[in-house]
Amino acid sequence: MTIERRDFLSGAALLALALGIPVAAVRLSDIADDDMPSPRQRLLARAVSQIVIPRTATPGAGEVGVGDFLILALAHGLDGSREPAASGATPTGESPPLRRDGSLDHLVWLERALDRRSGGDFLGIAPPARAQMLAALDAEAYPPGPPPADPSPWQTIKGLILTGYYTSQTGAAQELRYELVPGRFDNDIPLTPGARAWSSDWTAVEFG
Amino acid sequence: MEHQFDAIVVGSGITGGWAAKELTEAGLTVLMIERGRKIEHQVDYATETKAPWEMPFRGLGDAARYAREFAVQRKNRHFTEFTEGHFVNDRDNPYETGADTDFTWFRSYQLGGRSLTWGRQCYRWSDYDFGANKRDGHGTDWPIRYADLAQWYDKVEDFVGVSGRAEGLAQLPDGHFQPPMALNCVEQAVRETISTQWPERCLTVGRTANLTEAKETEGRSQCQYRSICARGCSYGAYFSTQSSTLPAATKTGRLTVVTDAQVAKMDYDAATRRVTGVRWIETETGARKAATARLVFLNAGAFNSVHLMLNSASAAMPGGLANSSGVLGTHIMDHANTLSAIADFPQFSGHTSFGNRPTGIVIPRFRNLDTLDGNGFTRGYSYQGGALQSGWTRGKRMAGTGAAFKDELQHVGAWRMVLVTFAESLPRATNRLTLGKRTDPRGVPQIEIAFAHGAEERAALVDAKEQAAAMLTAAGGVVRMGMDRPGPGGSAIHEMGGARMGWDPKTSVLNRFSQSHDVANLFVTDGAQMSSSACQNPSLTYMALTARACDYAVAQMKLGYI
Repeated sequence: MTIERRDFLSGAALLALALGIPVAAVRLSDIADDDMPSPRQRLLARAVSQIVIPRTATPGAGEVGVGDFLILALAHGLDGSREPAASGATPTGESPPLRRDGSLDHLVWLERALDRRSGGDFLGIAPPARAQMLAALDAEAYPPGPPPADPSPWQTIKGLILTGYYTSQTGAAQELRYELVPGRFDNDIPLTPGARAWSSDWTAVEFG
Repeated sequence: MEHQFDAIVVGSGITGGWAAKELTEAGLTVLMIERGRKIEHQVDYATETKAPWEMPFRGLGDAARYAREFAVQRKNRHFTEFTEGHFVNDRDNPYETGADTDFTWFRSYQLGGRSLTWGRQCYRWSDYDFGANKRDGHGTDWPIRYADLAQWYDKVEDFVGVSGRAEGLAQLPDGHFQPPMALNCVEQAVRETISTQWPERCLTVGRTANLTEAKETEGRSQCQYRSICARGCSYGAYFSTQSSTLPAATKTGRLTVVTDAQVAKMDYDAATRRVTGVRWIETETGARKAATARLVFLNAGAFNSVHLMLNSASAAMPGGLANSSGVLGTHIMDHANTLSAIADFPQFSGHTSFGNRPTGIVIPRFRNLDTLDGNGFTRGYSYQGGALQSGWTRGKRMAGTGAAFKDELQHVGAWRMVLVTFAESLPRATNRLTLGKRTDPRGVPQIEIAFAHGAEERAALVDAKEQAAAMLTAAGGVVRMGMDRPGPGGSAIHEMGGARMGWDPKTSVLNRFSQSHDVANLFVTDGAQMSSSACQNPSLTYMALTARACDYAVAQMKLGYI
């Protein structure tokens, strides 16, 4: 299904209104026509983000607009997502969904992978089953032992969901703690059990 | 002839700022020319206080645009959406590489140059370094020794503000330090193990140009432990042209600054054997401008200073200005560096830290000091790095989804220690800069870089990997991985050489005062002047050499020789 960019943008605003997504969180107008998601892909990105990081004491990733961030990030190649595709091959042998520039269209890949697992319509099945299905996909993407030589595209997608969440105000400053100006360095203090980590520890963020 | 200025300084980075300060404070009128845009201290640090959620791409930046416009710069670890404005646009500022050369040239074309984005590590060189070429025969003998530079190190450290700990090491002389920043618990434990098991080795906190005590008379506050230095620091807590040398030079009333001005050529008068001034292109308008001066200091950054000399060839000097020796452009260097070890330290899980210390640790050179004990290499290497607790980004490598996954990422991860090696780069004639085949968008001939690390550097990295693993293991670490192959040339961002100092005008470009052998009123005091690379971060030595050269040049002017 193809839709016009103009239709999409107005549709996106309506959809955002319906879902309570803050439209301003991400500028979808920064996405080229070729990379515009379908409304279903947009729902899927939101739902998958929410499964990875659900609501606990703080809101989940889908609720704070990470689905749209994921779409933007994939369109702009963050975390190497528009490098020439190494894989994306599917168990059924169908060819991976490539963009014109030779990169994998991660969103289409995700849509196909989840629909196949759910026998047709991932978004149509019950939420607990969706979470189980995604957990199974995740477990396959992170096998025990050394990292796979040809990592699953899911690693990139999940990584960008985490980026979207922990750099959102909710993720960075409510779920974790954020302090731009620590003002001092305490070199060795006891780690209080349950203490929330600092999203503003840039070295930790950089080196993981 | 009537000159418009007493001196012209080309470049406004770490050494250009120093040249402007020293020359204006000595009473000279100075024109400082910067090819990039003006950046005003505090006013123009546009992203300094932004949170990730306030940035369009959450701090990671638009990777697609970076691939087009910052194809090289994006590989720099300090290059982010917050700092991209402090790095050069590669598409507009191309360079060429020779066959088989992989060279990532990290550049900052702006007022302040790389002083805004540098790693701030400040280490003195020792006579192991200044005597290295003479000892093993690589390169040409340095015409100076530590004693020539010691007082200038004192001077620049006092003004820069270097925090660090005195350790009494012959290979890494102590300086005039502000109080050191503290080691964290893992680093402290590794320090103690190393000093017990390897008494000749030392782990100490990085000596860094971040203030631990305010310099109030200069309007500089102490470090706030943000560790976002490359965005620009309104506290003035780290040394940059903007925070330090530019205010000092401006205060004299004798400094003129021109920005957005790419110097294309120096003018040379064969009759007097002097440079008479420089010509530049206004990058905004394309207009051609020129100015004259009695004295010219090149501080454009090692490769760009050499580039300018090559582009200033004339009928009298067809091989490039001040190149009667023919060695201009040769013997360029950059430290061979790699990630030598990562080790886990699970036993410290009850400890943490608060605040972002803007420096790591250093383990100074211990090979090939009084005894040649390197296996396949005659020079040194040292480690930098540190211990850290992993954060939420570890989730990208972990299996997991859902509430339990989210809860786990809410807490800090395990302690790890990282050691990165910087190995000395031998000066080789085949590693060199020449003029390329094409011109840049402003019509100036491009530079071509030919560079490769050699067998000695590779042997040093092999040893460094083994020794890193041995030290971290002895301290209770579990080594996860390590590498022994160098990254591409330029990775260390310590590119230097090309206009080396030496005793003999036939085999070197500059004399012991950073002055051209051929052209008495031309001084090159950035990284281009280096005859060897040592394994320390070189900026402090460039600063000391610049201050010393300025003092000499002013004295020569007063005597009427310049």
